[in-house]
Formats: sequence, C-alpha cells, structure tokens
Amino acid sequence: MAILEELLTILVAVGISWARMTAALIISIIFSLCVGILAAVDRVAEKIIIPVLDILQSIPILSFFPIALYAFIIIHPVIGPELAAIFLIFTSQAWNITFGVYKNVRLIPLELLEASKALDLSLWRRLSSLYIPAAFPGIASNLPPSWANGLYFLVACEIISIGEVEWSLPGIGTLSTSYIMAGRMIEFIMSLAAVVAAVILTNLLVFIPLMRLSERYKFEERAAEIPRVWIEKVSGWLSRVARRISFSVSPRITLFELRIPWKASRILLIAVLTIMVALLGHSISGRVSAEVTLAWAQDVVEAFQRLGVVDPLVMIGFSLARVSAAVAFGLLWTLPVAILIYEKRTLEKILIPPFQVIASFPATLILPLIAKTVMDLGLPLELGAFLMILLGTQWYLLFFLLDGLRSIPYEEEEVCKALAMTRLQKLRHLYLPRILPSLIMGLIVCFGGGWNTLVIAERAVLGGFTWDLRAPGIGRMLSIAVDEGDLALLIAATIWMAGFIVLLNRLLWRRLYEKAVRIVGVA
Amino acid sequence: MSGAGIKEPILELRDIVFGYKLRRGENIRIFDGLSLDVKYAEFVGIAGPSGCGKSTLIRIMAGLIKPEKGEVLFRGKPLKKPTPRIGIMFQNPALFPWYTVLENIMLALIHEKDLSEKDKIERARVFLDMVGLTAFESAYPAELSGGMKARVALARALVSQPDLLLMDEPFSNLDQLTAISLRREVESLWLNQSMPPSSVVMVSHDIEELVELSDRIIVLTKRPAKIAGIIEVDLDRPRQRRSPEFYKYVDEVYTLLS
Repeated sequence: MAILEELLTILVAVGISWARMTAALIISIIFSLCVGILAAVDRVAEKIIIPVLDILQSIPILSFFPIALYAFIIIHPVIGPELAAIFLIFTSQAWNITFGVYKNVRLIPLELLEASKALDLSLWRRLSSLYIPAAFPGIASNLPPSWANGLYFLVACEIISIGEVEWSLPGIGTLSTSYIMAGRMIEFIMSLAAVVAAVILTNLLVFIPLMRLSERYKFEERAAEIPRVWIEKVSGWLSRVARRISFSVSPRITLFELRIPWKASRILLIAVLTIMVALLGHSISGRVSAEVTLAWAQDVVEAFQRLGVVDPLVMIGFSLARVSAAVAFGLLWTLPVAILIYEKRTLEKILIPPFQVIASFPATLILPLIAKTVMDLGLPLELGAFLMILLGTQWYLLFFLLDGLRSIPYEEEEVCKALAMTRLQKLRHLYLPRILPSLIMGLIVCFGGGWNTLVIAERAVLGGFTWDLRAPGIGRMLSIAVDEGDLALLIAATIWMAGFIVLLNRLLWRRLYEKAVRIVGVA
Repeated sequence: MSGAGIKEPILELRDIVFGYKLRRGENIRIFDGLSLDVKYAEFVGIAGPSGCGKSTLIRIMAGLIKPEKGEVLFRGKPLKKPTPRIGIMFQNPALFPWYTVLENIMLALIHEKDLSEKDKIERARVFLDMVGLTAFESAYPAELSGGMKARVALARALVSQPDLLLMDEPFSNLDQLTAISLRREVESLWLNQSMPPSSVVMVSHDIEELVELSDRIIVLTKRPAKIAGIIEVDLDRPRQRRSPEFYKYVDEVYTLLS
C-alpha cells in the first residue's frame, strides 16, 4: 500500500511539473510566432531581434534565475516563485522555437510571397494562410528538444535557495531530489521511471503526431523522414484526429478575419510588443524606488571590483577546459555512431527511438545521484563534473550530426558509389564536408548546454550536502554567490560568463560556421 | 583499347528481375526477366514510358543496383560493383560544391594508385580541355552555369577512360542550345576512336534526341518492363533532324511506345 501511495504522490508531482512546462511551452509558442515572424518579414526588426536572441540563448539560464526570482517576487510575493519557474522554463524553450519559426518563414518561396502581395491579403489572412502554416514545421520539430530542455531546467528551478531563504515548488524535481537525499533509492527509481513514461507518452501522443502533421507544410521536397516505428500505431489515430480538427477549424478562422491593411499591421505588431515590454518593465520598476536601483547598481560595480580581472579569467579557463573535454569525448563516440545509423536504415529504426527517449530525459534528475555516488566512492571530483557535462551535451551532438548526414543529397551518395569509393574516401570527400555546418552548429549548442550544466556540475547545494569541485570554475562562483545571497556578485559573475560566451560565439563559432557554409555552399 | 571484335557485346543483361517493396508490403515488379546486349563501339538509346524503370536499368548496368535475379556481364565477366571502366553521367550533375572543377574531375581518379598527383592533374586537364572548360579549372560548381556543370560531369565520367559511358537523361535539365552543343560533343567523342568511350548507353524521354544519336533504340514497355521493340537507325552522321527519313524513325519509336 505504501508503494501505491508513493506512486500516486509521484504521478501527482509529474502532473504538476507537466502543467508548469505546458504553460511555459504555450507562452513560448506564442512568443516564437510573434517574434519569429516579425524577424522574418521585417528587415529592421530582424536586425534587432536576431542578435538579441543570439545573446539571450548564450546566457546560461541558471545564472539569471535567481535574478528573475527576485524580480517576480517583487511583482507578487506568493505566486512569484511559480511565475519565476515558468519564466525560467520559458527561457529554456523559446529561443530554438523562435529560430525555427524565423527560419521557416524566411524559407517561404518568393512566388508565394509575391502571390500574397498580389492578392493584397490582410494581416490576419497572411498569418493564417501563409506565415503560421509555414512556421508550423519549425515549431513542431522544435517541440521535443524544447520540452527536453525545459525538463532539464524544471528540476533545477523547483528547488532554489538564495542565502537563508529556500523555496521549493511542488513537482517531480523537488520530490526526486528529496528521495535521493533521504537515500530512498526505490522511490527515486520509481520517480525516474515515471518521468521516462511521461516523456514517451508526451512524444507519442503530442509531438510525433504534430511533426507528422507538419510534414504537409514543408516546402522542401526531400523532407528528412522521421523514423517510423511501431509506436506510431498508437499515435497514428491521434494524428488523423489532429488532421481532421485542422480541416474543420481552418474555415472558421477566416470568419474572424480582421481587415487590417498589411503595412499598418506591421506597425501595430511592433507597437503591441513594445507595450508588452514596457508594461513588464513598469510593473517591476513601479515597486522599486530609484534609490534602491541606484544602490543595486553601486553594489554590482563594487562586486566587479571585488572579482578583479585575473580571477574570473582563470575560472573561465578552467570551466572552458571542463566543457571542452566532455564535448571532445562526446564527439568521439557520436560521430561513428551517427555515420553507422545513417548508413544502416534498420539501425535507425532500432536505435533512434530509445536515443530520443534517453536524450529527452533530464540529466539534472541524475546529477544528484552522480554527485552522491562520486563522493561516497571517493572518486575524483572532476570525473563527476565530466560525467554531468557529458550527460548534458552528448545527445545534441548525435542529433546534429545525424541531421547533417541526412541532408546529403542522394545524387552525391550515388556519385560516390559510382566512383567505387571506399568508406574512408567517402568519409573524407563526402561526409565530413557535408556535416561540417551541422557539426559546428552542434558544437555551439553543445557548448551552450555545457555552460549551463557547469552551474550545477561545479558546485551545487543538494538539500543535506554540498557538491563542490574545490577547484576554480565560473559555475562554482555563481553557485557560491547564490548560496551567500550576494545578488550583486551573482550579477557580476553572470555578466563575466555571458560576456565570455557571447565573445566566443562571435569570434570563434560564428566565423567557423560561416566558413563551413561557404565551403559547403549551402545556407 | 576496345579492340575486341566489333560485334561482340561489351555489356550483357541476362534475365534481370528487380522490384521495389512498398510500405504496405505490396511488391512492384520493375523487371521480370529482361535481357539485352550492348555491343562494342555501339551507341544504344533506351526509350520507354515514364516510370517503366529506365533509370533503374541504367543503375543496374552501372553496378549501382543489384538485380534480385539475373546476371550483368561486363566484358564477359559478372559485374559485382561499380568500376572505373564504366563511366556514368546522371541527370543531375551532382558535383561536390566544396571542390573546384578540376578537383571534382580528379575525384574519379581516386583508384588510380599508379598515377602521381601531378599525373592526375594533367589527365584531368586533358578532359577539362576536351569539354572546353580549361579556363574554369579553379572555379567552384556554384559559379558555373547548368551547361558547364553538365560538361564537368561528362569530363568526370570520362576521365577514368571507361570503355562504356552510361547516361541517364543527361540533357533534360539543359536549355535547347546547350543541349544541342553537348549532344554534338558526346557524339564526336564517341566517334573518336582514340578517345573513350567505346560504347554509350543513353536513357532519354526525348525521342528525337535518341534517333539523332543512337545506332540502336531499345523501346521498353510499361512495368514490368519488357522489350517492345528494337529499332536500328541507319542514317549517316551527323544526322539531320529535318529530313523525312529522320521522322520515319521518330514515328516508328512513337508507334512502339503507344
């Protein structure tokens, strides 16, 4: 009976967490449609939105969570932490969906754009009959990674302590961490299984049907195929239902058609966004006086002085080495596996579904377990950090590499075959050049994930005990600042870290990517 | 090089059986026991209704696709996999965008272990010159027009000095003028005894193109493809498309197709 009761507790906790994630996902989708479409259709908006998004997605989410928490508690002291959690999850889900929307709307064939111009379609008509359908595949294909990403941070944002004050929101993250700390392994494993089951069900019943449905909205003819598995028999009818719904809904939408001319609507859209941002800013600033703000600014400046220049650079150097080591190891196994899966279609059917499940499983759930095991067994602490970063990054690499391999045109494969190339020759002349852009993209995302994991992997307060590398690291610095409730120090350390990451992206990754695209000759 | 008896077959297809399996488990028979020969120094054209498996046939001839049953004999020996002795030109030029024109051609010399890098460059240059693109050796494919890309693809198919050149709708993506000049080039290359290839097989849906170039036109039926008829084209080269004799052959092919 006790087990059953515990199971019920776990299921309720998963339900609460899922509701939190769904709320964040809905906000993410609305955000991505507004911002992504705007960036794709308006040159001026594009010049502002894309670099801002680029910076936003490079900032480690966990580092600004405490700052967001403060802001939301000022807005509303009771539901503030809940709003902050949803906001954090939103920031982990929104950017890639927005880029997906942006990319797909940008890819709309010129003829279609010209046709809609010639027909002089109104804003709503353009959105409902062109931009949103075009954006749909970009949203659908980004749902699983966004969900996985959100899940990753969900666990981290359900329990948070700043200095003396601790918040814990009801949910599976809080529950499973409490199991680990109490040493209740059976219940911990049960909670992991519940999360796995919920992830699989969500993918089957929601994401896969949506992705299948979105196939129809793609412009490219050779759309990358989603592996068909037995699972689809379950979700097949759902996708059929979804299709039917979409048919019955679309004519009704046109009834609500707003007669706003296109040019005016663009200004309207920008105005609405500006008002939204202004309102948010006002609701915070209305409760904080000018003097307090000034005092905060002084604190932050003082924190920068306390940190100096050499120390943060040393910390960043150590952190960079940790992430690099884990990513390099990840590449070592994912490259051959990706090629193997690409070449053997049957392997794809067998391996991809479990890989997808494992990949969407939040590594943060296991981090406490790794920390505890490494400490209990007296293993090197760096090994623990390495494992944690590896868990947080390797799957990105695999999926990006596979994506690159799947983009290889069939004709090029055939030429290699006709020239009787050996596998090594094919690797050199076809695979490596073709996957270069996706490989670099994968590395960028990987390093992004790595920096995020650092915030936990270098130091974390886990209920009863503290996981601490006791070696320099910028993530450790952030964790210490949170622990001491030193918001100014936290902001200073975050700016150091985010600044370095943005710089790295601009000076290294962006250039490498552009070079790769130039060499391969595809955008 | 191709000094064997003139009427000897260079390529033989014996009782080829091939099919695709659809997802629903349905089998589609493309070939159900198809046999044909290509002789030395012969230009063979293949016509057939769309979807009858012309492209599949050329891939079987190249060793790219293994038939389920039956045999492919190249110069009397079973053909197990693609060989540099058979050059193939696809409908899409499929050049590697990250290599220059010259490097793309040199890629076909990948198995020539005896050639030094310098020899390979030299050989590639000879064939580049042959298709009239000497000035473009360090250009990248993205910088070329469709006709130029097709020329590079032709040079790549010929640089390994194959005895047999296979062409799958080689001119269908080109504009009229480019197609005319490229057809002339292919014909004069084939007629030139000192240059490869000895024999050519061309698949096309353009009947006039087939009559213009082929010694023999093999007309296939709908799936599963069988030989509907073989037409020997006995006209002097270069053939004049306007002549009544020419049209007699064109009509003959159309009759077999319908």
